[in-house]
Amino acid sequence: MRKAFITQENLSVLSGDLERAGRKVVVPRPSATGRMEYGAAQSGSLTHLGGALPARSLKATFLPPTEALLRWKNAKDDVVLEPSEPKALPTVVLGARPCDAAALAILDKVMDWDYHDDPWFARRKATTIVSLACDGVDSSCFCTSVGLSPDTTKGSDVLLTAVDGGYLVEALSEKGEALLEENKTRFTAARGEAQAAERRKAATDKVRKNLAVDARTVKDWLGGNFEHPFFKLGSRCHACGACAAVCPTCHCFDIVDEPEGLEGGTRRRNWDTCQTSKFTLHGSGHNPRNDQHARLRQRVMHKFHIYSERFGETLCTGCGRCARACPGGMDLLEALREIDKLRRSSRPSAAPIVTPTNPPISGGAR
Amino acid sequence: MNELRQLARKLLADKTVGVVIGYEEGQGAVTRPSFATSPEQAEKLVFDARCVQNLASYLSPRRSTVRSLGKPAVVVKACDAKALAGLIREAQVKREDVVVISVACGGVLADPRSGKALSEAMVADRCRDCDGAHTSLADHKVGQAKAPAFGSPKVDARLAELQAMTAPQRFAFFKSVFSECTRCNVCREVCPMCFCARCMADKSEPQWIESSPHLRGNFAWHMLRAMHLAGRCVGCNECERACPAGIPLSLITRKMQKVVSERFGYSPSDDPNVPAPTGAFRLDDAQEFIR
Amino acid sequence: MTGLYTPYLMRVDEIIDETVDTRTLKLSFKDPKVAQSFSFVAGQFAEYSVFGSGECTFCIASSPTRKGYIECSFKKVGKVTSQMRELNVGDTMGIRGPYGNSFPLDKMKGKDVVFIAGGIGLAPVRCVIWNVLDLRKDFRDVTIIYGARSEADLVYRRELEDWKNRADVKLHVTVDPGGQGPAWQGEVGFVPSIVEKASPAASDAFAVVCGPPIMIKFTLPVLEKLGFAKDRIYTTLENRMKCGIGKCGRCNIGPVYVCKDGPVFSAAQLEKLPNEF
Repeated sequence: MRKAFITQENLSVLSGDLERAGRKVVVPRPSATGRMEYGAAQSGSLTHLGGALPARSLKATFLPPTEALLRWKNAKDDVVLEPSEPKALPTVVLGARPCDAAALAILDKVMDWDYHDDPWFARRKATTIVSLACDGVDSSCFCTSVGLSPDTTKGSDVLLTAVDGGYLVEALSEKGEALLEENKTRFTAARGEAQAAERRKAATDKVRKNLAVDARTVKDWLGGNFEHPFFKLGSRCHACGACAAVCPTCHCFDIVDEPEGLEGGTRRRNWDTCQTSKFTLHGSGHNPRNDQHARLRQRVMHKFHIYSERFGETLCTGCGRCARACPGGMDLLEALREIDKLRRSSRPSAAPIVTPTNPPISGGAR
Repeated sequence: MNELRQLARKLLADKTVGVVIGYEEGQGAVTRPSFATSPEQAEKLVFDARCVQNLASYLSPRRSTVRSLGKPAVVVKACDAKALAGLIREAQVKREDVVVISVACGGVLADPRSGKALSEAMVADRCRDCDGAHTSLADHKVGQAKAPAFGSPKVDARLAELQAMTAPQRFAFFKSVFSECTRCNVCREVCPMCFCARCMADKSEPQWIESSPHLRGNFAWHMLRAMHLAGRCVGCNECERACPAGIPLSLITRKMQKVVSERFGYSPSDDPNVPAPTGAFRLDDAQEFIR
Repeated sequence: MTGLYTPYLMRVDEIIDETVDTRTLKLSFKDPKVAQSFSFVAGQFAEYSVFGSGECTFCIASSPTRKGYIECSFKKVGKVTSQMRELNVGDTMGIRGPYGNSFPLDKMKGKDVVFIAGGIGLAPVRCVIWNVLDLRKDFRDVTIIYGARSEADLVYRRELEDWKNRADVKLHVTVDPGGQGPAWQGEVGFVPSIVEKASPAASDAFAVVCGPPIMIKFTLPVLEKLGFAKDRIYTTLENRMKCGIGKCGRCNIGPVYVCKDGPVFSAAQLEKLPNEF
């Protein structure tokens, strides 16, 4: 795959070129509330893309907080359905954090599990992701513990690394190659490779210091210790779900109907979180996950046991946003450290939870 | 600090309480809520300008995991005490069921993660109009109360700017900040006064408030929340601190506080016996609709 | 767009009031092509929608051997089921599915089958019962043990009558103590004790159990005592779901997705799962 170089100025020009070519450009930029967030670029004002992680992840670009699934119209003695075409504008993300790009590749697995989630993949297909090797590592980052790194290429089409005078550019996929080819006048020959390697290594070393645990190794301990007293974690948890709202991999959703007058309405899917009691509450009043300890355990289990058991991937990118966002001071790094300690001091459990292997029958008529 | 730990140790050792809810060192440079259930655990309690959380939230009847720890003693700052008074006033907590430890607080940081020291620039906005006195609810007072020395709240200046706008401009402003809302309900869940077992926004028969984070749903939610907290919100600002989208919720809560103050002469009080405007009935009420 | 989340439209053909709060709807596909192509297997579930209220998860209560229509039985508990009760014959509903796995009918062939159900738990079991009865010669002895709180809470009464009159079905109907009226001729007692009393032969049999969690909890040990192997006892779980297709993350029990790995589980499988159902 090709390598190149682009100046900061040309990157800004490129952003404008892409917009003129009909692409939506998403960059980290100050949001309406003044935070750094991913959002539509303001034409011609692209400044340095690096720095701290955007407050929320990139997932909203692919799984919007709310989206219409279909509209229904009440006709005489009948209902007419109009499935929604997903809004999948041709998009380029400039300056995605590698952990956020990796999250998309991780989520592809569940979104394609037997049933292909059309809205998700329509947007995945329409989007080219240009990541920036992370230069905003702080004390909550732990990507190296989940097999990623500040310069991971997973999920990215192009990787930029900030070097003197601009960025080293590396195409990682066909989409990435195409982006470079279509805009080749903005790029020059690759340079700054040694500096890039140095900076990337420095960032990686910095993350490693935060958490010396390989989070992929806790899976088996989790599977065998569902009832372990460690999971009495819930006291300081407000059950607010801030962790899920900022998480790049939390993908649980709700489906709701919203009537618009008597003529019809919209069926939407909205973000949801397993941290609320409502999430699993049955109509009968029975609630299988009835306290906050159980709900927090579910979050840890889903990320480090359930998903990896099912899809061979950890449902966490080590971005650390949950730790930064938690109003009660919950910290996943600390939890992983504790679990790892327990894992090391315990013998393999006699009766690990086993996933049934009876093959599901896929949908009949579809 | 020693005084606080000694007190907590004693309360736990003589079984006056089952848990002391205070603060401990968290990960990195921050502190976080702590739930000490043994005299030994009392050793980890700390208090300083990083202790931003309003611990009264943990006394809300919805926190079943905390309730299961036994009778609580709770460490409160002067501002948190108002929330506790609110819970007592609204019959969610019985005064005799909680031991109140008032800590002298010279203001807390707006952003404890910054690692910066407390200063005029770094202080949480709500501390600017705090008198710093120990609450009258205190069963135990720890530390010498000191009067704060900060400028007036910045939220008031921002409110004045909003007030100076035309209605369409204000609407445009709220539209832009509410467009960031994903209806995660964090503002509700961290709020000490949002203790309803079933929030009106979660009711589905009928569905008063759409749960989707589009502008219609977001406006409905934030308006409902403002109305339900009018005269009840104590201004602890946990909602704004916790909001993952950074929505300036204090603009709304502060404005409601001002309206209630002007109309009803009521400001958030740490005395549970002071009647709140939405919780009291008076024959000589100034508002006509009630007569 | 294939419309993964777009339901098929159904017409309400018939409404049957089972009890004071439980109702069965017979639904047919509006699109004749779908009516032709739609097929499912016993145990699968669907997402039913009433437009304006949302979707709700139930098993398909009719047998896959009966083509051209499906039936669902529901109790009014929430928003969607309340609106389902408001529907009249001719009204439109939606259905997405079928989803999930099924009862192992192939393994059950040539064996005795014991059906045990409580309350509205008879709905998913009824689907298998008719499937078995429609292919009656493929199976050996068929025993049905059904209980409800009171006489008034018994569902599918016409079918209970039918099964009672069939020579090739052993039927035991019971009501909880105090739930019997003066003319009651069936059993009185809780389902687990009636199972023990009926004592169906376990040597070459499968059991299908469905009902309130408490009933299942006390029935499983009885079946084991009678000699049923844990991998020959099957039940179906109803965790809360939204998507039904393994995406929305709601129905996990430990590592299991009820919508994809279930809803049908053997007692041997359940035993290994954490108690979150």
